[in-house]
Amino acid sequence: MLLCRVVGNAVATHSHPSLDGFTLLLCQKENEGGVPDGDPPFVAIDLFGAGMHQRVFVSTDGIGARGVVHDDHSPVRNFVQGVIDD
Amino acid sequence: MRIGQVIGTVTMNQQEAAFKGARWLVVNPLVAEQLNTACDVEPGLTRIPSVVIYDKLGAGENDIVGFVEGAEATAPFDEPTPIDAISVAIFDSIDHVPYPPEDDDE
Repeated sequence: MLLCRVVGNAVATHSHPSLDGFTLLLCQKENEGGVPDGDPPFVAIDLFGAGMHQRVFVSTDGIGARGVVHDDHSPVRNFVQGVIDD
Repeated sequence: MRIGQVIGTVTMNQQEAAFKGARWLVVNPLVAEQLNTACDVEPGLTRIPSVVIYDKLGAGENDIVGFVEGAEATAPFDEPTPIDAISVAIFDSIDHVPYPPEDDDE
C-alpha cells in the first residue's frame, strides 16, 4: 500500500475494457509528513470518488485490483483503497 | 500505471512463439511538469529510461499511454507469456494540479 495524494485525473477513451466506467486518478507518492517523494505521478483507479488533493491509500496488489474490476484478465494494479481523514 | 509518450516501435525477426502478432512500443516516461500539456504539445524526452511495452490498444507514435509493469502485465493472456510491461490506456487529456499548490499568480 502506498501513501499518496490525489493530484489530478486522466481521461482515456481507449483503454483496456476492464477500466471502463472507472475514474483514473493521478496519484503522487508521499511520505508520512506529506512531502512528495519526487517520482512522477502515476495512475490509479478510483472507487470512492476521492477529491483533489485528498490523501489516499493506493493498493499495488494486482490480484485485489482484478477483483475490484471483476475481470480476471485485467492488467490493472493500482487502485485507491481508502481516503485518509487524518 | 505509469504515463509515457510513445517514441518508437520495435520489430524483431526472431522472437518467443507466444509473441506472434505482438506489437512493441518504445515509451519514454513523462515527468510531472509535462503531464498537463502532454496530450496537446509533444513533450520532450525525459531523463527517465525508456521502456519497451507490449501493445494491444493500437497506440501510435507520440500518443500518451498508460502502461503497467510487472506480473500484472501478463494478466490479459490465457497462456503464460513472458512480458513485463503492457499498454493499458491511451490518454485524451490529463489534468495535473501539483500539491502543495504553487504560488498563485492570479
